[in-house]
Amino acid sequence: MRDAPELRERASELCGRKCGRVRLVEDTSLFMELETGDVLDLQGRRFVVTGTEYEGRFGLSEQPKPWVKRAMDWEDGSAKIIKLVFHEEFYRVVGGFKVRCYRSPEKEARILALVHGDARFMQGDTFRDTAGNAVRVLDRIPGGPVDLQIEQLGRQGHEDYFERHLAGVLRKLCKTFAALGWLHRHGERHGDVRRDHVLTDPASGNWAWIDFDYNYDLMANPFGLDLYGLGNILWFAVACQEVTSHWLSQERPDILERLRPEDFSPALKNRLMNLKKVYPYLPDSLNNVLLHFSAGTQVFYERVEELLAELTPAIDDLPPGEEAP
Amino acid sequence: MIIWNRILATVDEHESSLQAVHYLASVLGGSDACQVHLLSVWQTPSPDAEPDPAKRAAAAASLQTLLQGRLDQARQILVEAGLPADNVSIELAEAGNHTIAGSIMERQAEGGYGTIVLGRRGVSKTEEFLFGSVSSMVMHRAKDCAVWVIS
Repeated sequence: MRDAPELRERASELCGRKCGRVRLVEDTSLFMELETGDVLDLQGRRFVVTGTEYEGRFGLSEQPKPWVKRAMDWEDGSAKIIKLVFHEEFYRVVGGFKVRCYRSPEKEARILALVHGDARFMQGDTFRDTAGNAVRVLDRIPGGPVDLQIEQLGRQGHEDYFERHLAGVLRKLCKTFAALGWLHRHGERHGDVRRDHVLTDPASGNWAWIDFDYNYDLMANPFGLDLYGLGNILWFAVACQEVTSHWLSQERPDILERLRPEDFSPALKNRLMNLKKVYPYLPDSLNNVLLHFSAGTQVFYERVEELLAELTPAIDDLPPGEEAP
Repeated sequence: MIIWNRILATVDEHESSLQAVHYLASVLGGSDACQVHLLSVWQTPSPDAEPDPAKRAAAAASLQTLLQGRLDQARQILVEAGLPADNVSIELAEAGNHTIAGSIMERQAEGGYGTIVLGRRGVSKTEEFLFGSVSSMVMHRAKDCAVWVIS
């Protein structure tokens, strides 16, 4: 890292404000020291740092991610997200079980190469800095998470959403889920499947998976947690909101009294998977897919293809509605 | 071709997997009509989980040693129950790109085994939902063969 006053003019132009000190960075290991205006030189490509990314999750306050930088391409000025190498290992509690999780920059770099040109996934390239770090330079997707889009579609209430939008949303989700199945068939898992990891691009209409750097220890079904995540996305997409025992106690206490433990998720025991008990107009074919994610099921989906084999025809039993934006 | 008297019995790192072998021994007794192939499948730790190749190799070697010990124990249980030693074979296999269940099914098809024998650790429904279960995955995939799940 060295001071590079000769880069100040272009860096200021890209940052949209006058940069004081500008440094040229070829080794990104000490990412905490990076500042706005710093220029990363990665295998001859340059990017100017314009800020730090934040992550919010389902409405919680946003947390800074100092290893993820907003940046601009030095040459064409396009917006980028730069993910620097940050090794993190932690235990995540899922359904009451502790799972060892870790970030793997190499895994994300591998998947980026695998999905290159496939709009169902975020796009980007991996560059090596002088320390050998796998720095991932990603195209910024201008849209927001899919759950926000779904909530927008449901503003007129669930019956309207069911009539006008659910089929269109599920048609798009099937393509998104199929993308994950494709990833699995290539021996990779997403590692952190949740609804805010699918971004919608309003310009192209694409729904794309983002963030592939999470991974976890080996297990009997290496894709089990990804499938669990798909079940949660589907559940939200069908209900257009979170239907939990808490919500039911506030909104539909009459229904809550009649529910059994088998109607809920085995992992998140307050999450009602048997949504037909709240929305009686849901066709059985769709509700039966949700029931495969409930505590009452005898058989869980092991592969995305099994899920799609039942979800895709279930869409035909819905009002055709409009295409999702 | 599936051959009814060829049995594929699996053993894993958990001591409880030997319970299935004890059960098999008690069912077969001193029969010399069956051939039992004892299989243990191991998975190399992922480079994502352990980037250091030396540590990865050490972890794999440690697991293989443990599984080889289990296989030897399992063979001894069957032979002591009266199965001819020549009718009991053992194999330690790497899963490679397969899951453990996938490797077991591949071996079953290759060897024409008419019966698969597995132990079940008492995995809860929630665990099976989240992480899968080798015995459940084998049961779902098995065709043209019997599956004994001993719990």
